Amino acid sequence: MKNPKSERISSRMFWQTGAIIFLAVALGIVVNEIRPDRLPLVADWSMEAQLNVESGQNITISLDRAKRSFFSQKAVFLDSRPPEHYELGHIQGAQNFPWEGFEKYFDTVMADIPQDALIITYCDGISCTWSKDLALELFFRGYDNVRVLVNGWSLWVEHQLPIDEGL
Amino acid sequence: MAGAFGWNTSFPSMKGYNIIGKINMTVIKTNNNGQQKRFFLNKPIYFWVRLILGIIFALASIDKIIHPAAFAKAVYNYQILPDTLINLTAIILPWLELILGIFLILGLWLPGAVLLSNILLVTFFGALVFNLVRGLDIQCGCFIISQETTSNLSMCWYVIRDGIFLLLGLYLLSHIFSGKRKALTTSMKNQL
Repeated sequence: MKNPKSERISSRMFWQTGAIIFLAVALGIVVNEIRPDRLPLVADWSMEAQLNVESGQNITISLDRAKRSFFSQKAVFLDSRPPEHYELGHIQGAQNFPWEGFEKYFDTVMADIPQDALIITYCDGISCTWSKDLALELFFRGYDNVRVLVNGWSLWVEHQLPIDEGL
Repeated sequence: MAGAFGWNTSFPSMKGYNIIGKINMTVIKTNNNGQQKRFFLNKPIYFWVRLILGIIFALASIDKIIHPAAFAKAVYNYQILPDTLINLTAIILPWLELILGIFLILGLWLPGAVLLSNILLVTFFGALVFNLVRGLDIQCGCFIISQETTSNLSMCWYVIRDGIFLLLGLYLLSHIFSGKRKALTTSMKNQL
């Protein structure tokens, strides 16, 4: 036999849940529409879209191009991960420039790198944002030739390219 | 409440009742203080759990409401939702948390608020554990490469923290359905 009190609570639970969700959706959308820093309701979050600079240029680099630049020593590789990740292993010759500590590392790391040098930033994971954030910041500071090797560390290891390990 | 304002003897119409008034109000004042103390001391655990969870939800929502773009990026870093839902989540979820927080604190629409709180807490906990298992750091959307790195330790801390919040939520939910809690049922009847 059903407990009427429990049924009453269940019924209230469901209409209240619906009403709260409706309230949140309405408030969220209305406030978003009237605020100056409103977000578009739907946005393109692909890494390619995130790596388009204002001029429309895309600053990603393919593994093949990165590999060629590595062997011809035409590029500077910047590892944007924290030092403890970098020390476990990194692309051979890459310098550590952790995104989380940008201002602290900027002067030291960038001291010997000319503004027009080909700079390749990387971190680990398709969605990793450190290399993207680092590259965009460098781009806005006048390093026009900065590129991002998306999912760089994993790709580099997977293709058995030269690395420095366990420093 | 009169005790809180003190007993005013300067009203001409009350001159004849000064002494009695003072005595009565002293008693009332004492009773109010005592009642106030008892009000908090006698509150059952679920009241405090509801209050704590409500405050957590409300506080958690504020920064997300102020900085929607940063929150959208945090949602993206979880790498669970499709791109089309990331901004919508960042726009709506903080308000849902704020409403739930306020409702839990005030004791409004408790059955619905508690159910939704639990749905959110289970989702947050599940998303964290899922990312910990697949080795994704939610702070950057990147891989965790070593068990000893600080990012992995912070992920474990988040899992423990969200696990505790989930236990609090489940405790409230069990009370909603439990017949042991006469006081809450009565107060809900009054509030609904």
